[in-house]
Amino acid sequence: MRVVGNSIGLMFGLPGQGMHLHLDALSLLFGCILLPQVVAASVAGMRASVAFWAFVLGMALALLAADGFTLIFGFELMSAASWLLVMQGDRKPATLYAGVAIFSGACLIPALFLPASSLAFVLVALGAGAKAGLAPLHSWLPRAHPAPPAGVSALMSGGMVKVALYVLIRYAFINLAPAQQPWWGEALVAAGALSVLIGALRAVLEVELKTALACSTVEHVGLITVGLGLALYAKAIGDAELSGVALQAALLCAVAHGLFKPLLFIGAGEVKHATGTTSLNWLGGLMRGMPRLGALMLLGAAGMAALPLGPGFAPEFLLFHAVIGAAATGGILARIGFSALLAVLGIGAALALAAAVRVIGLGFLGRPRSLHAAAAEDLRRGPFVAMALLGALAIPVALVPGLLLDLLNPVIMLLAPEAQTPPLAYAPVTLLILAGLAALAAGFVQTRWGVRGLREVPAWNGGFGRPPAWLPFGDPHTQASATGFAEPVMRVMGKGLLGAGMTDPAERFLLTPLFRVQTRLIRLAERVRRATIRERLAFVFAVLVAFLLALGLGQGG
Amino acid sequence: MLSFALAFIATVLHIALCFMGAPLLMGLVNKLRAWLLGRRGPPVLQPYRHLAKLLRKSTLVPDTATELFAFWPLGAFLALAVATMLIPGFATGMLTAPAGDYVTIVGLFALARAAAMLGGLETGFSFGGAGAAREALFGIFAEGALLVLLLAFALLAQSTSLDGIATAFRTAHIGISVSLGFALAAMLTVALTETGRIPTDNPSGHLELAMVHEAMGLEYSGRLLALLEFAGMLRLLAWMNLIGTIFLPFGMARVAEIFSWPGGLALWVGKLLVMAVALSVFEVSRAKMRVFRVPEFLGAALLLGMLASVFLFVAARIGA
Repeated sequence: MRVVGNSIGLMFGLPGQGMHLHLDALSLLFGCILLPQVVAASVAGMRASVAFWAFVLGMALALLAADGFTLIFGFELMSAASWLLVMQGDRKPATLYAGVAIFSGACLIPALFLPASSLAFVLVALGAGAKAGLAPLHSWLPRAHPAPPAGVSALMSGGMVKVALYVLIRYAFINLAPAQQPWWGEALVAAGALSVLIGALRAVLEVELKTALACSTVEHVGLITVGLGLALYAKAIGDAELSGVALQAALLCAVAHGLFKPLLFIGAGEVKHATGTTSLNWLGGLMRGMPRLGALMLLGAAGMAALPLGPGFAPEFLLFHAVIGAAATGGILARIGFSALLAVLGIGAALALAAAVRVIGLGFLGRPRSLHAAAAEDLRRGPFVAMALLGALAIPVALVPGLLLDLLNPVIMLLAPEAQTPPLAYAPVTLLILAGLAALAAGFVQTRWGVRGLREVPAWNGGFGRPPAWLPFGDPHTQASATGFAEPVMRVMGKGLLGAGMTDPAERFLLTPLFRVQTRLIRLAERVRRATIRERLAFVFAVLVAFLLALGLGQGG
Repeated sequence: MLSFALAFIATVLHIALCFMGAPLLMGLVNKLRAWLLGRRGPPVLQPYRHLAKLLRKSTLVPDTATELFAFWPLGAFLALAVATMLIPGFATGMLTAPAGDYVTIVGLFALARAAAMLGGLETGFSFGGAGAAREALFGIFAEGALLVLLLAFALLAQSTSLDGIATAFRTAHIGISVSLGFALAAMLTVALTETGRIPTDNPSGHLELAMVHEAMGLEYSGRLLALLEFAGMLRLLAWMNLIGTIFLPFGMARVAEIFSWPGGLALWVGKLLVMAVALSVFEVSRAKMRVFRVPEFLGAALLLGMLASVFLFVAARIGA
């Protein structure tokens, strides 16, 4: 190991060059996002898996890389190890996952060695975007992320997509900065807005808990990308304040998402462990048997829904302000686009709220929909420690986002040196104090004029009678199911955006045609394999004639 | 020091008036509606009696509910209470002004909505679940429309805090612009939906199948129901304050000038009265629409909100 300049050289790697590691503010930030998740995932039960540690090593190498080779090596190690882990869980999505990983590698490898140009940016955006689950290359994510064990799902959703975004940030903001164009940012904003809309909508419609969480990850990747795109656009047109606010929004969203999403995934794994299923149609009433898990999931869901006083609100707040700032200047078409973006983000936020309410309301409240859900026992020790760690770290993000934004300043200065960061206008502590005053007033009124005590009785339920004795929790079909709760949204928005079959547009317009091409190629290959000896000889002869003809014509002409 | 004391007094006065007056406003709207329908109607003070009665009744918890049953009405109440404290009423420049960003207010409304929806899902019976599912659907378009509207306000007022918007609209000569007209129409649409009034929901309806807001509170009783009902009253007042602050900011008092307070207070009461009359007249002249027509209604609000900002862009472009 030797130190060259401000990077550290390692003795292995490319012959004659070795590998170079380098730590700056950006890699430090993403390392800090990664660290709690790695600790949580290992505590939650992944300690003994070699593939898991290879996965972690790959992510760490990608973050610390000082040269293109090390970056690619770490990135591909991360992809390969996570592919193994996905395959341990479920073989079906593993092939698609490997295909996407190869595609993203094929885009990234040439991009890292190209000079700074728009082509390099497009390749980086495609490669890193495919890995991060950015629309329209996102349809693998809701299939692959739920497959492995909960700890790995947590790290894939919270960490791996962040590493992909890290690559995008490093190249778009630093390495390719000399060639930057405003349309880079606009393209990222468009892809991000599409991800927000599709991710949030599918999160409301999916019945499997882990799939819904993975769709919500697509939404949050979209939010981060919208922030990054706005910052890139602002940097290119020289708007210092907008680039500062947009970067704050994107980076804070990455921090918050890196805490509450692993928490939710580990919680989903515990639901699976306790009840044997993650289908919301078979859960219900888990808060009774699993109060600790329920409380932690409530915190995570508040973050996922971007509710005030939760960890997800400050980034959303900053993002709205960034979009308003972007719409205040510029050409008329761009401004109309930004006002449409504001509508998309608003609809996305409300969809995320509906998705979070659905996870908590159907999974943890109400009556159990199966005996397994009724008999569920609370969290095991390891996952509880992991979730408590992530939850405890999410509290400062929720309550003092202003302090955290100060810590982000060096990163913002690194990415956009001229950016200005105005102070945050959202003060959760003030809201908390006001809420405390209102609670005190309500408590006073209650003790002064009210009567105490609660009495447990059969539910009124619109006057229906009690269920028969052989249905201890009543008929599960008389309470809203996961599909039923989503039905109004499906009817109004889902049919228009996803079609009647509820398939992702990316699958319909991207994967299905690709699959058709593949089938044709396979048929062609099969035809070639089955060719008789005469056909083969005729083919060789024809090629020879054609070659000689071409040669002769080329020399004669 | 004096200015701080004045701001403190004004803030406390605002909060006290809002909390004390919210049931009165609801009683007034109910009375006006009854008059317009040719009935005598309940006394204006009936909501106070209703709340006092509920506080004295015993509180029942369904045996299928979880430990959090009592938490959701409290959550909805607290979110709306904080929103009411942050939205300016009779004066600008209150102590709560710096925290009163428009996006925070929208977030607090969303928080109240989430708590109410979870309360509906809590007992696991079908009416609550159906109400929550419909509320989720309405919320999607309502929140989109509200945030799009912010763009028009922010462009006109150069501020995103409610206090800043009110100050800018009161002092600057914005005049009657097409954008603000569109914005007002969109805002009223969202307000009617969020407060659960006709044409999207019927506050005095008794048919469970057609309920949205009421359905989520069906299993609540006693003091928890009192909390939910009071939260509903606060929501109506908060929305009227919001519309009054943005669209009718004339005559709002300045906190630092104590002599402007009586005028501001009188005008505030007058504005609330006018809005209560307008709401009653609108409600008796409309029928409730089908649940799946409501997204179209709110979609129109979303489009109007976008048009409001597009008109501003065009106006800026042609220099009008």
